[in-house]
This record gives sequence, C-alpha cells and structure tokens, in this order.
Amino acid sequence: MSQTDPTVNPTRLVLIGINHTTAPIEVRERLAIPATRLADATRTLAHQPGIREALILSTCNRVEFLTLQDFAPNPTSAPDLNQNPGILSFLNDYLSIPTTTLHPHLYEYREREAVRHLFRVASSLDSMVVGEPQILGQVKESYTVAREVGAVATHLEALLQRTFTVAKKVRTETQIGSSSVSIASVAVDLARKIFGSLEGKTVLLVGAGKMSELAARHLIQHGATSILVSNRTQERAATLAASFLAASITTTVIPFDALYDQAHRADIVITSTGAGRQLFTRAHGQQFLHRRRNRPMFFIDIAVPRDVDPRINEVEGCFVYDIDDLQQVAQANLADRGREAAAAEDIISSEVTKFHARLDARSAVPAILALQQSAEAIRGAELARAAKRLGNLTPAQQEAVEALTRSLTAKLLHPQLTALRKSAAPTPESDQPTGPEK
Amino acid sequence: MSLLWLRVAVLLYGIAALAVLPAALASSPENARPRWRHLAIAATIAAILFHFVSLAETLNASRHTVPPYYGIATHETLALSGLILALAFVLVYWRYKTVALGIFILPICFLLGLVPAFRPGQETALPLLNTGWIFLHVALLLAAYAALLLSLLASLLYLIQERRLKHKAPSLPWLPPLETADQIALKTLLFGLPCMTTGLLLGSLIAQQTYGPTYFRDPKILLAFAMWVAYCGMIFIRRHSGLRGRRAVYLSSFVFFVVLTVWAANQFSAVHRFTAP
Repeated sequence: MSQTDPTVNPTRLVLIGINHTTAPIEVRERLAIPATRLADATRTLAHQPGIREALILSTCNRVEFLTLQDFAPNPTSAPDLNQNPGILSFLNDYLSIPTTTLHPHLYEYREREAVRHLFRVASSLDSMVVGEPQILGQVKESYTVAREVGAVATHLEALLQRTFTVAKKVRTETQIGSSSVSIASVAVDLARKIFGSLEGKTVLLVGAGKMSELAARHLIQHGATSILVSNRTQERAATLAASFLAASITTTVIPFDALYDQAHRADIVITSTGAGRQLFTRAHGQQFLHRRRNRPMFFIDIAVPRDVDPRINEVEGCFVYDIDDLQQVAQANLADRGREAAAAEDIISSEVTKFHARLDARSAVPAILALQQSAEAIRGAELARAAKRLGNLTPAQQEAVEALTRSLTAKLLHPQLTALRKSAAPTPESDQPTGPEK
Repeated sequence: MSLLWLRVAVLLYGIAALAVLPAALASSPENARPRWRHLAIAATIAAILFHFVSLAETLNASRHTVPPYYGIATHETLALSGLILALAFVLVYWRYKTVALGIFILPICFLLGLVPAFRPGQETALPLLNTGWIFLHVALLLAAYAALLLSLLASLLYLIQERRLKHKAPSLPWLPPLETADQIALKTLLFGLPCMTTGLLLGSLIAQQTYGPTYFRDPKILLAFAMWVAYCGMIFIRRHSGLRGRRAVYLSSFVFFVVLTVWAANQFSAVHRFTAP
C-alpha cells in the first residue's frame, strides 16, 4: 500500500473490471478470485506501486478492481492497463494473466462514474437479473475482507459506507427486488398467497423432474417440512426423497398406485411426470377438497403435456398453475423490475451528486480553514494595537468593537470563501466513462 | 375535557386511516413500507389510549353529575363502537401482521368518532343505564358486532384474493393470504360468540329485574335471541364443514344482516327505548 501523504498528491478513484456483458465465461473464470484467496489478493493489490486503497469484487458474473491511485490516468484515454501500472503488475505477477487476453473485455470508470458504477452494482442494477439480492452481500463481503487486510482506509471507507446506504435506499424506496422472476420463486410466491406462511406445509412431488425438485427445494427454504414423493419408478422416488433428507424435513415415498388415496395430504402438489395424460381430473380435485375439509390445495403443473386438468381450477379451494401461467407471472414481474430500475437510476444519480458534493466540500475545507485562521490572526493583532488608542472601554463597548470587527472580517472573506467552494466543484469532462457500453 | 381527548383520538384515527393506505396498498410483505405501517399502528394505539381516557372521564363525570347513572347515550355508543373496532384491528394486526383490514376499519373508527367528538348532542344519561353491568352488556354486544364485521371483511378479502388467484390476475400485495383471511374470519367469530352470549345474558338478567317476564315478548329481544342462534349456527357450520370462500361470505352476510336488523329494532323496542318502566 502506497504511503504517500494524501494531502500532497491528488488521488484518483479508478474502477477496472469485466462482467457478464463484456466478457464470456471463459474470460471471467480466468480472472475470478475464489473466496479463499480474496484476502491475499486484496492485500497484494493494495501494495502495488501507486495504489493507496483497494477492493476486489469477484462474483460469477463480474470481477472488478476498485482502487484509489496516486496518479490519474490520462482522462481522455480508452481503458488501458498501461495507464494503471499497479493493476497491471497485479494481473501479471499475482494472477499471471496476459493483459492482451483481457484488454478487449475491460471497462474502466474514473471518479464520479466509478462511484455511479459501484452504486449501480451494489443496488443490483448492473446484475444479470436486475434486482437480485445477492450482489449487495457480495460487495459487503469484499469490503469486510479488504478492511481486515487494511486495504480500505478513509476514502474507500466513506465510499463503501455510502454505497451500502444507497443500495438499501434503492431497495426500500423502489420495488426492484420485490417480485420473483424465476419459475421456482414464482411458485413459492403463489403458495404464500394461498397459505401465508409455508411453515409445516406438505409438498407432494409427482414425477421426479429437475424443475419440480428445484421448486420443492424453494418451498422447503420457505418453511415446508414434509415432502411426499410419488413416481412410477419407486427407486427414483426413493432417491429423490433421500435427497431432501434433513433434520427438520420428513420425507415419504408414496407408491404410484396409492397416489389418489394419499394426495389429499398435500397442501402443494408439484407434477412433472411427462405421463402424456391428465393424472388429476376435476373429480379428483373435488374428492381431495372434500377429504381436506375444504382447506385449499395448490397444484403446480410443470409437465408438458399437462398432468393436471385445468378444470380443477374451477373447484372452490383448488388452484392450478401450469408452466405457462408461472412463466407469465415471471415475465410480468421482470417487466415490473425494469420499470422500477428507472426509478432506481434516478436515486443513484442524485446520490452520486450528493456524494461528490460532500467530497468536494471536504477538499475545500483545509484552504477555507487556513484563510479563516489568517483573517482571525490579523483581526486579533489589529484589535490589540487599537486597544491602546481606545483606552478603557466598558464591557459593552468592548463587545460592540468585537462584533464590528468580526462582522467586517466575515463580510470581506465571503467572496473568497464562496470562490473556494466553487473551485472545489467537480470537472465533469474528466469523469466520463471510457469503458465499453454496458 | 373528555371531549378534547375524544377529538384528539378522532384526529389520530384520521391519521391512521390515511397512513394505512400507503402502508397496505404500496407494499408487499417482503418490501413493505415500514414507516407508514409504523405510523398507522402507532396512531391507532395512541387513538385508542386517548379514546379510552375520554370514555373513562365520560363515565366518571356521569356518575358524579347525574348520580347514580352511568350514562351511555347514542353518541357515546357510536364512539365506543369505534374504540372496540380499533382495538379489534390492533389485535388482528398483532396476531396476523396484516394491515389490510385497516383500510376499511380505520375510516369507520374515524367516522364513528366524528359526530360525538365534533357535534356532541344534548342527550343525557339514560335512566336505565344505572349500573356498571349495563355498560358491560353494551360493550360486550358491541365487541360481538365488531367481531362479526371484521369476520365479514376478512371473508370478502378472501373472496377477492381467491378470484385473483383463480383468474391468474396480477397480485395485489395488500391482500392477506387466503389462509390468513380465513383464520381471521373464523377466529373473530369465535371471539365474538362468548361476547354476544355474555352480553345477551347480562341484558336478560337486567331486563328481567326491571320489567319482569313481559320483557321476553319484546320484538327486539326475540330478534336478539334469533341473532344469537344465527351466530351460533354460522360458527357451527364454518367449523364443522370447513365452509370457506363464497359460501362463507354469503353466510356471514346473512348473519350481519340479522345483526343490523336487531340494531334497527332498537327503534321499536320498549325495552331499549328506555322509557320509564
């Protein structure tokens, strides 16, 4: 980590990286840094020449190096690792990756745009699935690691704390993460609209399809505790049931020919048999509901051709969603997220401006303080000299003279202080992104 | 002074009724807007406290100024209904964490308090309301009515949610899940039954003492017992046949209609007109 005095050299925030839109998986996996090596990698990057502070974000969809550097790269140049010798030597020496491989896929952001990019990433606006919640946790993990190895100090600390606040604000003030966009999570959402909590609910899997297994796992994550499995091949059913085994989960294999006698035990039925005929008819629905004393029953039919007669939906208390229904909900939710993303971008723009205004104000503080101290010294000296001529003043008169001189000084300093604050304002032309279009 | 507390309570009901709209309508359980929800609940609880203080002062004042009466006039009955409904809403929120019912209940509380708070009538304490027992009789019956209203509202929400799920319509995040709505509908009825039974028994004992056996020929009293039978019947059917959805709403609506009839019958009842015996 460079030990340069931060008040002497101007420092520059630079973010270099690749993500799912700029690089294929073959490139991303070469650059990816596993969690076990993240601390060492961050420490090494922070100790490269010219780098004061550093953070590495490495997920399956992106690898990004956020650095605070001593020297600013040429503001008009395209992404060029030669302009970032610290990162270049890290890639060459530590990761042993030839930069020619990476170069076409890199993007680089500086200053204001680096801040904006970081805010967008943490708020999940730059994610493959916009609004997914994991990315914020990943940024936090990277921050924790960087702080532990001493790679994050004042500047990045302030930036990252602000990033977390902004990401939280985006999540609470928009609905960007509120709707489900995968089939399995849509199924869970619908089940919760019917049953409220899924605690203690029973799920019946008919067939042993991969997607129905995934949906069942989602339901288990949300509280379902009993899994019934029925399949034409008993062994396959047993294997699938065994895969759900956990301390809090009870699994039961139901022989396929006992399916109609046992199905009413399930609150949620997931079918994916590919039987080519309707396993559950309207009459079955009525029969199950009667046995359940009208407690609702949710059929998730993932099979094509369908396993469940859609007319079961006409039975009061029975709800049937097939794969098209689930996909329609997921698509609608995705569209909702797109609309919410626009609102989130507005929040981020405003937050970037606020963050920079705060930084700018902070950078002008030493000069403002120096000017004020100098003026105060002159005022004090002049007042002391004048005191001899003024003779003995009453306390009220002394106070009036003090107030008069203070007021004069403040008024004389006002234009200079305003000019200083203005001069600390950002220069937008140097903050443009130079990376490829996201 | 009691009027001032009542006015504060009504104002708070109004705030809660407004705050519950963004709290319920613009949120999903995962991404709820907690500030609005907290405001709605806090305002309701504060309103209940002020309302309770107002009621206690009214009762206390009537005991001292018109001894030995405990006055509950029509306006106060309205205000007491609002208080009980607000209490019921808070209890439902505490148990089921849904503010959806507040969209309907809180404006009702506000309206029920509005007239007694800002246009208090000149009604005096009623001569027959001469013991704390009669107050209990009124309060218990109002609690039963409130329970029935909540049950009906919950059943209606069940119906809307069920229709949207059946038709695969975009979800309305403020609607409670089906099972929650069903539980609220059933549990409120179960809560209302002992209130109604005890309230009617108390009323019968008081009237028996005051009027003697003629009291049982009063149409209001006969209707009140018909209401109790209907209430019991509804609970029996719901519990033993697992009645839900549309049919449950029809049944609740029918019993609610009976209750409204009983309320209206006050106008024709010698007992409840509180004329001199």
